[in-house]
Amino acid sequence: MTAEHDRLEEARTQQKPWKKWGPYLSERQWGTVREDYSEGGDAWNYFSHDQARSRAYRWGEDGLAGISDDQQRICFAVALWNGQDPILKERLFGLTNSESNHGEDVKEYYFYLDSTPTHSYMRYLYKYPQAEFPYAKLVEKSRSRSRREFEYELLDTGVFDENRYFDVFVEYAKASPEDILIAITVHNRGPEPAELHVLPTLWFRNQWSWQGVSDRPVLRQAAGPAGQSTIQVVDPELGERFLDCLDDPALLFTENETNTERIFGVPNRTPFVKDGIHNYVVSGQVDAVNPQQTGTKAAAHYRLRVGGGQSETIRLRLSDRATTAPAAGNGRAHTSLAARFDEEFQQRRKEADEFYQAITPGTLSADEANVMRQALAGMLWSKQFYHYDVDKWLEERGSDPFKPQRKAAPRNEHWHHMYNGDVISMPDKWEYPWYAAWDLAFHILPLTLVDPDFGKQQLKLMLRERYMHPNGQIPAYEWNFGDVNPPVHAWATIFTYRLEAAQEGEGDKEWLKTCFHKLLLNFTWWVNRKDRSGRNVFEGGFLGLDNIGVFDRSAPLPTGGYLEQADGTAWMALFCQNMLEIASELAMTDPDYEDMALKFVEHFLWIASAMGHLGDDTGMWDEEDGFYYDVLRLPNGQAQRLKVRSMVGLLPLCAATYYTGDLLTQRPALAERLAWFLQSRPELRETIHDPLKPGVSGRRLASILDETRLRRVLEKMLDENEFLSEYGLRSLSRYHAEHPYIFQAQGQEYRVSYLPAESDTSMFGGNSNWRGPIWMPMNALVIRALIQYYAYYGDNFTVECPTGSGQHMNLYQVAEEIGRRLTNMFLKNSAGQRPVFGGAKKFQDDPHWRDCLLFYEYFHGDNGAGLGASHQTGWTGVIARILHLFATMSADKVLQGGKATFFELEVDPGLRAGSSQSGRAESARSVETARPR
Amino acid sequence: MLATNRFVLAIYVDRSTRQWIVRDRDGNFWIVPPGEHSWEQREPFEPSDDTDLAPVPGHYRSLFQLPT
Repeated sequence: MTAEHDRLEEARTQQKPWKKWGPYLSERQWGTVREDYSEGGDAWNYFSHDQARSRAYRWGEDGLAGISDDQQRICFAVALWNGQDPILKERLFGLTNSESNHGEDVKEYYFYLDSTPTHSYMRYLYKYPQAEFPYAKLVEKSRSRSRREFEYELLDTGVFDENRYFDVFVEYAKASPEDILIAITVHNRGPEPAELHVLPTLWFRNQWSWQGVSDRPVLRQAAGPAGQSTIQVVDPELGERFLDCLDDPALLFTENETNTERIFGVPNRTPFVKDGIHNYVVSGQVDAVNPQQTGTKAAAHYRLRVGGGQSETIRLRLSDRATTAPAAGNGRAHTSLAARFDEEFQQRRKEADEFYQAITPGTLSADEANVMRQALAGMLWSKQFYHYDVDKWLEERGSDPFKPQRKAAPRNEHWHHMYNGDVISMPDKWEYPWYAAWDLAFHILPLTLVDPDFGKQQLKLMLRERYMHPNGQIPAYEWNFGDVNPPVHAWATIFTYRLEAAQEGEGDKEWLKTCFHKLLLNFTWWVNRKDRSGRNVFEGGFLGLDNIGVFDRSAPLPTGGYLEQADGTAWMALFCQNMLEIASELAMTDPDYEDMALKFVEHFLWIASAMGHLGDDTGMWDEEDGFYYDVLRLPNGQAQRLKVRSMVGLLPLCAATYYTGDLLTQRPALAERLAWFLQSRPELRETIHDPLKPGVSGRRLASILDETRLRRVLEKMLDENEFLSEYGLRSLSRYHAEHPYIFQAQGQEYRVSYLPAESDTSMFGGNSNWRGPIWMPMNALVIRALIQYYAYYGDNFTVECPTGSGQHMNLYQVAEEIGRRLTNMFLKNSAGQRPVFGGAKKFQDDPHWRDCLLFYEYFHGDNGAGLGASHQTGWTGVIARILHLFATMSADKVLQGGKATFFELEVDPGLRAGSSQSGRAESARSVETARPR
Repeated sequence: MLATNRFVLAIYVDRSTRQWIVRDRDGNFWIVPPGEHSWEQREPFEPSDDTDLAPVPGHYRSLFQLPT
């Protein structure tokens, strides 16, 4: 056990609240649905970046490299000013959906370099130009670009030329759960001295203005030892805190209140408003801050002059205890706190290294270990306090759900039961600073590498009555909670249960039971709502795959009629398998769940066989192509397959799970009932894999695809001219580059072509693209399925990989090969280049950039360059689990061991004691370490 | 038959006069001054054809102690 493991245990057993403070501050609160009170629901333009510095938020806060408590009462972040910009840099800048040629995009460079799961140590890097930040230029250039061009990036503006920028490292080290040391180290990477204003800022989330709270919290200057300035925090709920700022900076106070003069054109109620510190520092308005040194927002004002190539460090402490003033003001407190800084930071860094050494397989190279650690750092930094009381929000819009005289709300009217006020794992805290149900399920895969408790808590949270709709639907995301996302929650649930069981020797059955009951509601919702014909074939709309279809699958079809979706149906088959796994596990100790196990076997068979049977020559399976397609059912009764070779058709392959049969051995009566069902309904087994057929070690396989169809689909999937790219599986076959799929309807042509990079349409906001790029979560699902198939078929089942190469592999080796290709996107190749950085020379060559990794939303289908959201460590963080998986698992283990082998931790103390381990730890911090003086 | 004709309480800004305007549930418009007890100090407001009222989010009503 490492010190960080001890802290996790103390947090789990509620001895010490180590997770009370963390990076729970969003990177962007403006432009979100919850802050949008416009009539038409134009969230991006209603509350703009330009307004954000002056307008108090209703539901949350944002800031640079910030932290808050877990209810976000108090926030801390860093503000900067280079003396050139028109505004204080208090938050990240980016383009709104309509400003950019490919949808919303953050135009800043920042990196989540490190974090432990309790946030006892964290490190963040922000790169701030010394020249004026080109806000207007970014907007103008981006607007003028077409959807067929690349995005205009901050580096393209030339503002980082000659390295005239500051690297601002922000580090946190917890001395105790309530004693947080903060170091801000500024490196001038340019050739000449340059000045930088650094304003560590503390403020309260504004609750008093909106909720009639009478007890208003307060910040005020407090007396402290010589050589430091102190802000005293008095919060009616949290009590007292102190922000000690070494080197005696000036303190500036204002209120976190809307500047109504600027926003609404009405005089302010108070002279001190949210942008008071900005007005003081940037505009020189000395009366913009409160001379009484009190308020609800305060900053320490440091003016640094940093020599070319030099660095300066600012040290602060946020604590529930005041630093004791020395008797004669002789500066001893300054000295002792400064000394403590070095000591505490060194210790926390060392403990962070030890923690990551303990979870990082010894076989990983230094570069691989770096990728894994930064992926996990990104996952941990992407935790955010998410606050949204939908009922209150509707009421404040005049859309009270139960009042007769009410305005229609532009969205989420039917979700008034929701009250969210929790720390949640976000897809990307700037581009997607709201939870997304199916993303979250994927987040659990890497998060459980470092914090299984957090994974469990997150899964259960989405099923709570404050989240799940009374009808059983899991909320999708705030843009429309009623959208339908793929049902992957049950998969993440059984995964997390088995992980804990493998690591702790016992799984948490009470947690599993609770989840199962709620998942049953969700399953029933799907069956009742998305199976139009009652024949076990499912719709679902876009199902998270945005523009992958010929049409917008969430809109009424231009032809009329409806789609029978290969992916929707396959997702439900997988859902059944996951529920069967859970029910079987529970039934081992509680016979009440036997019926449920049987129910899900049967339901899987109904769905899987429907995929094969229904429609005969117009069913989803196309014998000629050897592939699955969506089927368009027209109002006149005709039907046709929409023959787009995409991830939609690979999903049936993903619905595969092997079973050991332990439950049936233990419960012969149940086995008899199952046998009777299977024998009396032989037609159900005709077009799918025979579930009675034993495989390796007598295992059984639930799979839509029988061996013949599996081989045919694999042939396409592993063809480098179709799905298999050098960096993983594409979302659309490359075949469509020369053979676009064209569909005519109502005199209009609908076309799907292979687009390896960005989308060329505005469908679904135009900010993502499923017509070619590589998406991490779908690759992870395929890897999972291949290992399931391998566990059943064993070494005798081989395929050519890549197709046509003459090289044959078993399915474990195929899974490993896909994993290797995915990993290669992030690793340096033989030329020292990382494919993820594409043609960005600065990222590829500059020592201050090249090891700062970005985990993009998706990747170029041909060259692996990162695309879309740049900090979607969210589900792209799954790469950490993939690295870990193939470093700790082997084909032999899969064949010989049970499912527990999937979750083995590689904890060989002998290996870890070796010198290679310390080398890896150093590499994980290879980005130049910013150490406090 | 019981007839109801209630409005949604709404806050506006009249940018030309730089004043807060509230429309109550009976459809009456009021000028509401900022500061303590603002609702109690309201004065009637008659919008003209030229009045351009910009809506303000409902959560700002707490600033004026408006009736719920």
